[in-house]
Amino acid sequence: MKRLITPACLMVVCLLVLAEVIARVFFAQDISGRFDYGYNPQAGFAEPADGTVELFRAGGRRFHPQTFKRHRPPGTFRIFVVGDSVPRGPSFTTAYPWFLGEELRRHDIAAESINLAVPGYGPRRCQVVLQKILEYEPSLIVLHINDTNKWEDEREWRRSQEFQGWHPRHWLMKVFIFRRLYEAKLEKVFWPLVPETIRLKYAANDADAQVAAGQDPREIAARIRLAEETAAENVAMLRQRQIPIILVTQCRLEEDPRRGLYLTDHGLDPLGAALIGPGTYHISMKDVFSRRDFRALFTNFSGHLHQEGHQVLAHAIWEKIELERAALGLPGAKVAVAGSPPNPPTMARDPQAVVSKP
Amino acid sequence: MSFISWQYFIFLPVIIISYWLLPARRRLLLLLAGSYFFYGCWDVRFLALVLATTVIDYNCGLAIAGQKKGPWQVLGLALLPAAWCLGCYVWLPASGISKPLLLVSAGMGLAFFVGHEAIGLLARDRRPKYYLILSVVFCLAILGFFKYFNFFIGSFKSLLGTVGFNAEWSMLTIILPVGISFYTFQSLGYVIDVYRGQSPACSDLLTFATFDAFFPQMVSGPIERGKNLIPQLEKGASLQDAHVQDGLRLMLVGFFKKVFVADNCAILANYAFDPKTSLNGYWAVIGVVAFAFQIYADFSGYTDIARGSAKLLGIDLMENFKFPYFSRTPSEFWGRWHISLSTWFRDYLYIPLGGNRGARWNTLRNLAIVMLLAGLWHGANWVFVLWGAYHGALLILYRVLPPFNRLPAKDGAWTWRDALAVPLMLVFTLVGWAIFRSPSVSHLGVWFAALGNWDPALGLAWQSSLLWLLIHILPLILLQGLAWKYRDEATLDHVPWMARGLVYVIMILLIVSSGEQDKEFIYFQF
Repeated sequence: MKRLITPACLMVVCLLVLAEVIARVFFAQDISGRFDYGYNPQAGFAEPADGTVELFRAGGRRFHPQTFKRHRPPGTFRIFVVGDSVPRGPSFTTAYPWFLGEELRRHDIAAESINLAVPGYGPRRCQVVLQKILEYEPSLIVLHINDTNKWEDEREWRRSQEFQGWHPRHWLMKVFIFRRLYEAKLEKVFWPLVPETIRLKYAANDADAQVAAGQDPREIAARIRLAEETAAENVAMLRQRQIPIILVTQCRLEEDPRRGLYLTDHGLDPLGAALIGPGTYHISMKDVFSRRDFRALFTNFSGHLHQEGHQVLAHAIWEKIELERAALGLPGAKVAVAGSPPNPPTMARDPQAVVSKP
Repeated sequence: MSFISWQYFIFLPVIIISYWLLPARRRLLLLLAGSYFFYGCWDVRFLALVLATTVIDYNCGLAIAGQKKGPWQVLGLALLPAAWCLGCYVWLPASGISKPLLLVSAGMGLAFFVGHEAIGLLARDRRPKYYLILSVVFCLAILGFFKYFNFFIGSFKSLLGTVGFNAEWSMLTIILPVGISFYTFQSLGYVIDVYRGQSPACSDLLTFATFDAFFPQMVSGPIERGKNLIPQLEKGASLQDAHVQDGLRLMLVGFFKKVFVADNCAILANYAFDPKTSLNGYWAVIGVVAFAFQIYADFSGYTDIARGSAKLLGIDLMENFKFPYFSRTPSEFWGRWHISLSTWFRDYLYIPLGGNRGARWNTLRNLAIVMLLAGLWHGANWVFVLWGAYHGALLILYRVLPPFNRLPAKDGAWTWRDALAVPLMLVFTLVGWAIFRSPSVSHLGVWFAALGNWDPALGLAWQSSLLWLLIHILPLILLQGLAWKYRDEATLDHVPWMARGLVYVIMILLIVSSGEQDKEFIYFQF
């Protein structure tokens, strides 16, 4: 039996084990919560001893890397933006939370605008993030309401449950490097190269089943219902804690042979409007963009925005904050006297506070 | 149970460890029980057909060799399939066994018993021939009913319709048992070998039943010969390092072919050959190339996993593929593609028909007959018959036309002619696959018509799909380049161990990168 283990075989085992060990030792933080698929409250949040909170890309949570203080510095207006790929934006500095922070600081409000949006997050997983950030003393929460990610939420819940189980079907994919490779191929090779028509029809793949499910009217109704229920729960929770919230109901750019390009809210706007109350505000993306030439602001046939679109949305949220300034606990607007510039914000603008890590 | 299911990854180690721990006699019992369990995971009812084939050919083989069992023993064995059906009827009501099916299975058993005993009344020297006929008739009757009944009835109805008769027969709902063509041919081959005196009759029912149902190759081949497999089962093997090394390597290569190459090529092939797809020339070519690699990687991948699994049990199965797309002529292609089937047809049909002996016309006729039947073996559809006829025509053309009939025989040294002959044969093979994969004969016309239309606006963008295809076939071609020297698709022994280890790591990573598709093997349906 001594030749049973050949050098080549030994090399295979060693390389794979080494790769897995390296991944687990040196990238332990990135792996944390991976198999909870976004349902682990702590995934993506690190709290080092220096009193800061670091956001990083962890398993199931692809946050933009950011750092902020665990306890809100006095006089700072801290905004958390929670949602999916729409608020997350094409990059950290071209997404609207960044522009919103800039806008607030331009108006002499010492503000931190932290982007907690994660692609593919639906109401359920946004709620998990929302519950977590209550620990970090938010001044305002901007919560996006979408109806497109329910399927992903459910799939990821199923996966998280399966991965916690003993089922042999998942043993192979519990190896981190295997799972990562599989996901990388799916996202970087399969989706870009194989046309969607083919994927939907012939490929047995979760993501494609998701798109197919998105065309089922019953599924659409269920998504709206879930978005409604979760938003109501979230609003009740924040009201109880007296944290103001702006609900942003999303819309999508779609095309119809008769109407051409148009914006649709899939019935979310009435839902957002119905929840307006003390400390709860509503912004409809459809309303915001319908007043402009929206064709140039959206990427093709989706709810995703170009940089200019993000700037428009940031401005609309700023206007809402300005309108509700007193209710949000902000000091009255400073009027600059000729010859004397406005006072600097009470807290120094620390670029590190909200700057993306390279 | 499929080779690429998680169940198999538990089943195989359990069988292998138990196998090597048990004494020789009990190993066979374990293999038989494991094989029936493996097959029963698909559909427990059809184990009755496996039992029927086993009982028929076991008794006929013995009788041909002059070792006929007593009438009560024959009767008991003949009623085994019916007993199995009865067991399913009583204890597994969900299996769908009905009273009429019970009666049919019992009737079949009794008919076999009566035929068997009636032949025993004939003169001794005439009996072997009639026992052979009895075996062939019963086995082909089972195969014919389950695989071809509806096809022939439907075709006959259509034929009557064309001459003005409107037959109102309804078709039966018949489920095709997995691997029926494979185990039927394997079992028939054994009886013919015994009849010819090329193989001794197997007197041990346990050994013969294991031979008939050996799980690694039962459902998709290789179609083994009794003279190769039965002695290995009887003798038993001792565990050797080489068995484990070769077995694991074969399985790795097999999984790579199936999971990484075949299943990913299938995505494009399925689209291109869907009747609802608007085809242009680009998609017609991408589709057929994708299918060529799909079917090759799927089937040869299955064979490699089967051979690997058997190796881990100390059993050598025959090679089924030897770089078929590097063939220069159709006869070389058939010497490299599904070797166990082509040699079966050669030994049990082509040669009895006269083979190459006699007039040239007879040889060509024999080729045509064999290839038509080989096409029909693949399935009850006219496209398979057409595919067989097409390959028959190619074989004939290569024998008749001057530039082709001077091409060297297989395994000869490669010359400048090969540089032309290999791509030309590959093109012919691809046309054959277009016939094979077309859902119907009429759709085949659509595929050919698409070759005259290169308008990119018709159909989806093809460039990225072509890249997807290349990503999945180039690693296979590179692997074949590495293995070419040894003329064995899964042997890399001549490669330095570090490079070999690296190849294995890459294969493992490529397999897991495509790991969640769970697509069935194509040849299960045959």
